[in-house]
Amino acid sequence: MTGLRVLGVAAALAALLLPAGAPAYLLGVGLQLFMYATLAGSWNVISGFTGYTSFGHVAFFGIGAYTAAILITRLGMAWPWAALAGGAMALLLGLPVGAICLRLKGPYFAIAMLGFAESLRLLATLWTSLTKGGTGITLPPIQTLVPTYYAMLACAAAVLALNYWIATSSFGLRLLSIREDERGAEAIGINTTTHKIAAFALSTVFPGIVGGVYSQYITYIDPSSVFLALITVQTIIMTILGGAGTVLGPVLGATAISVVQEVLWARFPHVHQGLLGALIIFVILFLPGGVVEVLKERRILPRVRSI
Amino acid sequence: MLLDPALLLQTALSGILLGAVYALLAGGLNLIFGVMRIINVAHADLMMLGAYNTFWLFSLWGVNPLLGLLGGMPVLFALGWGLQRFLVSRVVRASELTSLLLTFGISIVIVNVGLYAFTGDFRSVAYLSGSIVVRGMALSKVRLVAFAVALAITVAVFLFLRWHPWGRAIRATSQHADLALACGIDVDLVRLGTFGLAAALAGAAGSLISMMYSIYPEMGAFFLLKSFAIIILGGRGSFPGAFVGALILGLIESFTALWTTATHAEAAAYVTLILMLLLKPSGLLGEEE
Repeated sequence: MTGLRVLGVAAALAALLLPAGAPAYLLGVGLQLFMYATLAGSWNVISGFTGYTSFGHVAFFGIGAYTAAILITRLGMAWPWAALAGGAMALLLGLPVGAICLRLKGPYFAIAMLGFAESLRLLATLWTSLTKGGTGITLPPIQTLVPTYYAMLACAAAVLALNYWIATSSFGLRLLSIREDERGAEAIGINTTTHKIAAFALSTVFPGIVGGVYSQYITYIDPSSVFLALITVQTIIMTILGGAGTVLGPVLGATAISVVQEVLWARFPHVHQGLLGALIIFVILFLPGGVVEVLKERRILPRVRSI
Repeated sequence: MLLDPALLLQTALSGILLGAVYALLAGGLNLIFGVMRIINVAHADLMMLGAYNTFWLFSLWGVNPLLGLLGGMPVLFALGWGLQRFLVSRVVRASELTSLLLTFGISIVIVNVGLYAFTGDFRSVAYLSGSIVVRGMALSKVRLVAFAVALAITVAVFLFLRWHPWGRAIRATSQHADLALACGIDVDLVRLGTFGLAAALAGAAGSLISMMYSIYPEMGAFFLLKSFAIIILGGRGSFPGAFVGALILGLIESFTALWTTATHAEAAAYVTLILMLLLKPSGLLGEEE
């Protein structure tokens, strides 16, 4: 356990101090890593702990990106506020959608969410007066990456803390009981509807914020780049590789895949995506609990819920 | 002008012509769902492989697309059989989400193998151009042929499911797998055959679609959502239901395209899907769960 703490502190320090000496390229890599850690960790709240697999998580990312881009370009709002507004908008649009779609079970929820994300992509394409449609929105160039880097890091840290709180709280236990047996959870007096909606709401805010941060970082967005299904794919594979329903799983999965991608796969784009697919198949068949569960079984990690 | 009777009738007919092709695709998806309670996310990617099979046979050796369709079906059958045998059968008893994620992985692999092997270029099969004009309505020849072929295959599968002992075994497994097993039906074999049959139907649909639209390796996602909308419309696990749902979606799409734009028609499938999921998730012909 102490070894683990030392590792954790070292990783946190490295993340905090990276901008002091690293080249812009490494900052970019770190920034994307934290973005994916945020997406994966927030997907984990609804899909890992609560068991409602969503195939449309990119919807909230896209909402945040568009909200921030529109606020920055039309109203000249400062980007941190615009990104926060992106998170608020993701929550605002996510709540009614969640309230409705969570009535569906299993695969139907997954598909409804996929439909939701695709509908938003089409909406962003068609609503040209607001979004400029397929032309996309160009944002002002940024001077330095450092604030953006810290914004992404803060989101990733907040989502990690959120996952820790859920895993160790009675709220999280009730979510797990919904995942394991929803009718049973209802029978012992858990209001499953409010719990599911709360978990869903918690999973929408941070993707919205990082979407907003991303749009000012990348300085150009269009419907197919911020409502990209591949972002959902990556989010899902990172979480299940690391371990869905665990605290460290999404972070570990996001780190492993981002690093491997950066080092190796980015050079062979189709091979890389194909390998992601093969990795999903492999993990589902042979590592259904993800890496964290394996480490716990082998006693390399302590068998506690807070990891 | 938009309410001109001839135009309305033409729109309705083209919707039905399109719907029959959708029915082939969605019918297979529904068969798999019925027999295994699995939603095969890779289904429309099998369709993409069928489309490319027809395209390459046609452009390399000038093979008639309809012959390509017939030749492709056994190949897709074998592929579907193999997928079931080596991958999907391992998760049949696991939770629904496990199989959903597994077939999702298979889908990504197939699409990227397609991108690698065929590149992302749009391609098409130039077969039977022109249209027939009947009473002021222009009906494209290739769509009429595609409709006839799709309808013939759908009816054949329907009759097979209805009367043939193997088809009845599929329906029995679909109704209650454990009871079917107790009655001496080799349920595992039924699942292999069903997955193969569904893949062959998807391949046939792909061949027909390659004659009507441009094809590209990522086309599956677009058609997958359509087939979801169809099976939700028509009822899950029901082969005739998929046929009805497909005709309805074909009509919805062609009328949306008439009154608005083609992009709106694309959105129509999603809107239909979401509305049906919310209002009547068991579908128009499906049974309440």
